[in-house]
Amino acid sequence: MSEALLEVSGLRTWFPIRKGVFRSVVGHVRAVDGVDLTVRAGETLALVGESGCGKTTVGRTILGLEPAREGAVRFEGVDLAALAPAELRPYRKEVQIVFQDPMASLDPRMRVREIVAEGMRSFGLGKNEAERTERVAEQLRRVRLDPDAMDRYPHEFSGGQRQRIGIARALAVEPRLLICDEAVSALDVSIQAQILNLLSELQEELGLAYLFITHDLSVVRYLAHEVAVMYLGQIVEHGPTEQIFEDPRHPYTRGLLAAVPSVDPARRSAEPVVLGDVPSPASPPDGCRFHTRCPEVFDRCSREMPEVAVRGDRGCRCFLPRATEA
Amino acid sequence: MRVLEVSDLVTGFPAGRERIHVIDGVSLYLEAGETLALVGESGCGKSMTALSILRLVPRPGRVEAGKVLLEGRDLLSLAVPDMRNVRGAEISMIFQEPMTSLNPVARVGKQVVEAIRLHEKVGVPAARERTLELFRRAGIPDAEARLDAYPHQLSGGLKQRVMIAMALATRPKVLIADEPTTALDVTIQAQILELLRELKRDFGTAILLITHDIGVVNELADRVAVMYGGRVVEEGDRSQVLGEPAHPYTQGLLRSMPGFATAHERLAEIPGVVPPPAEWPAGCRFDTRCERVLGHCRSEAPAATPVGEGHRVFCHAVASEIGEAP
Ligand SMILES: Nc1ncnc2c1ncn2[C@@H]1O[C@H](COP(=O)(O)OP(=O)(O)OP(=O)(O)O)[C@@H](O)[C@H]1O
Ligand code: SF4
Ligand SMILES: [Mg+2]
Repeated sequence: MSEALLEVSGLRTWFPIRKGVFRSVVGHVRAVDGVDLTVRAGETLALVGESGCGKTTVGRTILGLEPAREGAVRFEGVDLAALAPAELRPYRKEVQIVFQDPMASLDPRMRVREIVAEGMRSFGLGKNEAERTERVAEQLRRVRLDPDAMDRYPHEFSGGQRQRIGIARALAVEPRLLICDEAVSALDVSIQAQILNLLSELQEELGLAYLFITHDLSVVRYLAHEVAVMYLGQIVEHGPTEQIFEDPRHPYTRGLLAAVPSVDPARRSAEPVVLGDVPSPASPPDGCRFHTRCPEVFDRCSREMPEVAVRGDRGCRCFLPRATEA
Repeated sequence: MRVLEVSDLVTGFPAGRERIHVIDGVSLYLEAGETLALVGESGCGKSMTALSILRLVPRPGRVEAGKVLLEGRDLLSLAVPDMRNVRGAEISMIFQEPMTSLNPVARVGKQVVEAIRLHEKVGVPAARERTLELFRRAGIPDAEARLDAYPHQLSGGLKQRVMIAMALATRPKVLIADEPTTALDVTIQAQILELLRELKRDFGTAILLITHDIGVVNELADRVAVMYGGRVVEEGDRSQVLGEPAHPYTQGLLRSMPGFATAHERLAEIPGVVPPPAEWPAGCRFDTRCERVLGHCRSEAPAATPVGEGHRVFCHAVASEIGEAP
């Protein structure tokens, strides 16, 4: 296992709920409510969970796009919150993001050249226009696009090609970590395969680390080295991918895996184990956040919140003895 | 008995002086009580096939040729008011986004009551009683109270259950379900898949399931028709199409799925992208991306080649292989 590149600890990001003429704060959406995670250099950590569980907010907080209420984000051991703006700049370039919807995230009025060069300019990469053009061409080749694409506009490209442009833009400032927020979720399977292959190749070539945010468990199993499962603002289980899939311990992880449709015609296996809907993050349940839907709930669960029990490289937030097995 | 039989359906849109056939000779059938999955990537014509069956093709498009027989009656030659009676009574629909069919400002119970009374002469109390029964059947917790809810007060999963209750209220012969679980989280999807399985068993409704998700196909379908470029390219039992795919496109599609791949190994790709309808090739529509392309693929549309009991493939390469075999 390689060393930690990014470490998030005790992270809380809450959004105020405002009401009335004075817009006074009447409560908070606890989108992220005590998250710890580690992304290792050159490896992929998948952050999985259902919609609204806070995955995107974790990513946005790491990028500094949302203010953290509590907790720390460390890059190579440096606490980013403790840095002055000027000291922070070099770190900002190390972490870049690729979004789900390439069309919405690329400015339709800008040429590909400008889109890719934008970040380079703000981080002072490339001395002059000629040098920047050469770098843009290099990024486009890197994502297997023809450098001639430079002078065209986003709408002239297919969904998969636009996602390549989004990746080229992120890579242009030479980051070491890419946050991919549902980066392949909107793509058709055959195009998704092309982009997943590209991401693997880039990881190999550039030693990139990925924080791969997704709800698609078959993609997770295929590409992640480690997995963190999120539910209502918290990580409920984490560990090496194969172990999580072979031996899930948290009742939510188990339910999530059981619910995944099988693609094997010899068996049908999607089973609704976890019933009902996710409660609102504005008023999460007391005790274990999962206790209202947990098939194994017992009396202690509604009174007390379990901590993450860490054993070796695995962790599980549950009172069941299974959670702490070696 | 075949409840629904579509033959040689052609649906076109004007493009300059030409017409583009986005559905080009689609034939398929539904036996009573069975589920046929129509699968393919975006833009292949799945939803347009459904809209053509229902005679809801948006202008300026129109169905130009073919037959749609519902228990022997050709829907394409019905008078407009008769067709209106077929829709919602004999054929119902559920969509990916329940709000396309739910009225946001009316209570959901009332909407179902009205749907029943539109097609049947029953009083409000009887219709309400039936609605309550359907809500219970659709697994809506606290069904009686939910009758008075507005759509926005319900979660995505509950809205989809209301949609399903509404679709079944008139005891249709055919249910068209267009991406019914695509917008839902996997634990909610598993619950809806389970519900559809139960309804299929208990009501004997034939389902035309439209989806791009092979897992959902496998969990629900009896038979599968794969579409590419406005045509059906392969058709057969679920286990035939998913287990022994014969068309190069079906094979490529299944091979490119992370769910079939070994972790971290390169995914098989289908090269290129689906061309837009205006650029669809004259012969086989897959010939621009096919690895097994032959000379006459470019010019002639392939005819059906049987490769097993009820298993047909539209491919010149498959036809010539079988022709050469003794
Ligand atoms: N700017 C905001 N203001 C208020 N609430 C927000 C804001 N952004 C997100 N939220 C809420 O925070 C919670 C977590 O949202 P987030 O987008 O992080 O979830 P997610 O896991 O990324 O979901 P999805 O899978 O749907 O993308 C949700 O309840 C969401 O509605
Ligand atoms: S702590 Fe209790 S409610 Fe929470 S996951 Fe474990 S068993 Fe279920
Ligand atoms: Mg998100």
